[in-house]
Amino acid sequence: MVVVSTPTLTGTLALLGFAVRRDRLRLPVWLLAGGALVAVQSTSNQTIYRTPEALAAYQASAGSNAASIAFSGPPVGLDTVAGTVAFEISTPLVVLTVLMAMFTTARHTRADEESGRTELVRSAQVGRHAPVTAATLLSVLACTGMGASVAAGAALTGLPEQGSVLLGTATAGVGWVFTGVTAVCAQLTAGTRGVHGLVGGALGLSLVVRAIGDITHDGLSWASPVGWAQATHPWSADRWWPLLLPVVGTPVLMLAARHLLDRRDLGSGLLQPRPGAATAPRSLSSPLGLAWRLHRGALLAWAAGIVLLGLVYGGLAESVETLIGDNPDAQVFFPAGSTAGLVNAYLGVTLQVTALMVAGYTVSATIGARTEEAAGRAEPVLAAGVGRLRWLGSHLTVALVGATALLALDGLATGVSRAVVTGDATDLLRLTGAALGYAPAVWVVAGLAGALLGAVPAAAVPAAWIVVGGVAGITLFAESFDWPGWVTVLSPVARTPAVPAEKWAALPLLTLSALAVALLAAGLGSFRRRDLVPG
Amino acid sequence: MTAVISVSDLVKTFGRTRALDGLDLQVRAGEVHGFLGPNGSGKSTTIRVLLGLLRPTSGRVRLLGGDPWRDAVALHRRLAYVPGDVTLWPTLSGGEVIDLLSRLRGGIDRRRREQLLERFELDPRKKARTYSKGNRQKVALVAALASDVELLVLDEPTSGLDPLMEAIFQSCIREARAEGRTVLLSSHLLAEAEALCDRVSIIRLGRTVQSGTLAELRSLTRTSVTAETERAVTGLTGLPGVHGLQVADRRVRFDVDRDQLDGAVRRLVEAGLRSLVSAPPTLEELFLRQYGDVPTEAVPAGRWSS
Repeated sequence: MVVVSTPTLTGTLALLGFAVRRDRLRLPVWLLAGGALVAVQSTSNQTIYRTPEALAAYQASAGSNAASIAFSGPPVGLDTVAGTVAFEISTPLVVLTVLMAMFTTARHTRADEESGRTELVRSAQVGRHAPVTAATLLSVLACTGMGASVAAGAALTGLPEQGSVLLGTATAGVGWVFTGVTAVCAQLTAGTRGVHGLVGGALGLSLVVRAIGDITHDGLSWASPVGWAQATHPWSADRWWPLLLPVVGTPVLMLAARHLLDRRDLGSGLLQPRPGAATAPRSLSSPLGLAWRLHRGALLAWAAGIVLLGLVYGGLAESVETLIGDNPDAQVFFPAGSTAGLVNAYLGVTLQVTALMVAGYTVSATIGARTEEAAGRAEPVLAAGVGRLRWLGSHLTVALVGATALLALDGLATGVSRAVVTGDATDLLRLTGAALGYAPAVWVVAGLAGALLGAVPAAAVPAAWIVVGGVAGITLFAESFDWPGWVTVLSPVARTPAVPAEKWAALPLLTLSALAVALLAAGLGSFRRRDLVPG
Repeated sequence: MTAVISVSDLVKTFGRTRALDGLDLQVRAGEVHGFLGPNGSGKSTTIRVLLGLLRPTSGRVRLLGGDPWRDAVALHRRLAYVPGDVTLWPTLSGGEVIDLLSRLRGGIDRRRREQLLERFELDPRKKARTYSKGNRQKVALVAALASDVELLVLDEPTSGLDPLMEAIFQSCIREARAEGRTVLLSSHLLAEAEALCDRVSIIRLGRTVQSGTLAELRSLTRTSVTAETERAVTGLTGLPGVHGLQVADRRVRFDVDRDQLDGAVRRLVEAGLRSLVSAPPTLEELFLRQYGDVPTEAVPAGRWSS
């Protein structure tokens, strides 16, 4: 392991202790969330798939559905209840663990460096590699803790022990790898946001590569760290050997981060920022121009991700038919001739899931206004002849128009790749319309975030993310967990007709649009009347 | 004389905290007005109320003839503001920030912008992320000074500037006054206020405790004197106006009222003066003396030890 006596590592253990202290509240929350996720999935699956018939039906439908394979993982071990738990929960667990690893590692490396804290620490008896080593050790420990929490959540709810420990270890392994990935990315850019962007991109790529690999069976999944974790097949084959990949890969990435660290100055990144313009372009003359400038980088990254996702989902739609054709069990449950309906059901789900992501974008853009206010950057603009409504309105405009554009891009990309596969472009307009159908729902989510920003500025950011989490949870789980109908009403995305799986209906769209307008007006109104609140 | 800023009995509370507690402030057209007070005394809160960023709890506030909360946008076209703690957009260059803020205010004098960049030795191409505190301050100063406005509202504008830049800032403020602009300069540095201000208002705990010209204010203050003499000094004890006298061998240290300075120094000269340091009291000392919740005599002892 790490030799702490090397001079460049002096102080590592002290820094690790300090980092543990700084994160003593936030890390347990992550770990509890992971354990709870598994426990809830395990208990609900044990109820739902109690009978062999229910299990067989699930195996036939989910195991042959390209959408569920794309979202979940390889359809193995679905003949046992434990296998269905592994199939459904492994991707959410991996995403949760990777986010924890990314935020933890970046917080203790690049964020500290950006704020000048690393400079202060390094001026003491602390070796050059100590901060990054302490940060990665902390993250590796946290991921291991996440593994333990996952294993406990599974085993305590009655799932076989060996598989529980394997699922936990495999989850931890992805976290280890992404700890290393984050440490490397932290050497590349000078800003913490840039690090999050690079790691988020790497995670997205890993998920997409795995999805393509598992559907096409061409071994591509082995190119993705997410694929390594799922190759362990917990509770069916119980394979341990794929974990060699993260065990070898993580130290390699950490050593790479150290080598990169030696090739740059403190405070800078390996990717040198280009000098900016000496004068502002004409577009940067209004609050809207400023809002566009601040949001455009994130929006373009989102657009690239959404287009990629749409292309992949659209291209995979046809394999739904192929999979059904190959699978006699499935044909029992989906009578011949209804494959067109199945493709539509699949497209309905993918468009809905992407709409939830766009809801996430619109909230991040809306609360960008709160971030500006908290950092004190709203003050100079508002003191320079810009009214409150115009200032907040500019950020909301970018959030709403940007989200609408993302939905249109999603529909277009899905339609284009479907047209390429089928040679028939009639779906293009239909899918674009279906995706845009989610616009009122996404506006409502933006309106909620805007209303929170106006009414409770100090709590707005976490509250807005809780709204997104709630909407996503209700939309995705209300049906499978059999939650009461009034809960579903609370999610605007679930209220929207899931075209093309369902039929169009004008009323919900009109109601949601009216609700969005009311919420946005409330947010703007309360922001105009209140004090500016620094963070 | 018309009042550019007129504040009376201003109260601002945050929950149970009373940040401003009946503050008064009068700034006349064309003057440089020092707004002085220790940290946390309410200077920035007052300025934020004047800018319509905070809503007053009670009291009367007029700025450039308007209501700063209701008429914020119209009034802001006529003023420029430099915040005390300048935070900039990390991905914008300094030049872009200067242009943006000036355009929002309604235009920029390009020639003056170039001159100011040169005088403050600021590279407009660097990204705001890479600027030091002093350079961020310069960006806000250039944006404010290059705008054609009637009123400059500056909240501790020189924190982070080196002495050379401080001197350039002072000459810029003098030019602004010569052009007929009004300046509200918040500061906790008496020396800066002394160099620039026509009149000052001193606040403490959210209340105005003194207002007037610097000469008026000075007459109320004491000078600190530290001296070394050839022989032991006699006759200082009991001299009217001398406070906190400390004698250590042939070194003496005391505070003296302005009108008694001459008499006190005479005694030092009689004892054979070898070195003399005299300094006006700091703002803190003025507060402690005038409104002291700490006994006056305790203050010099603390300074003596350093």
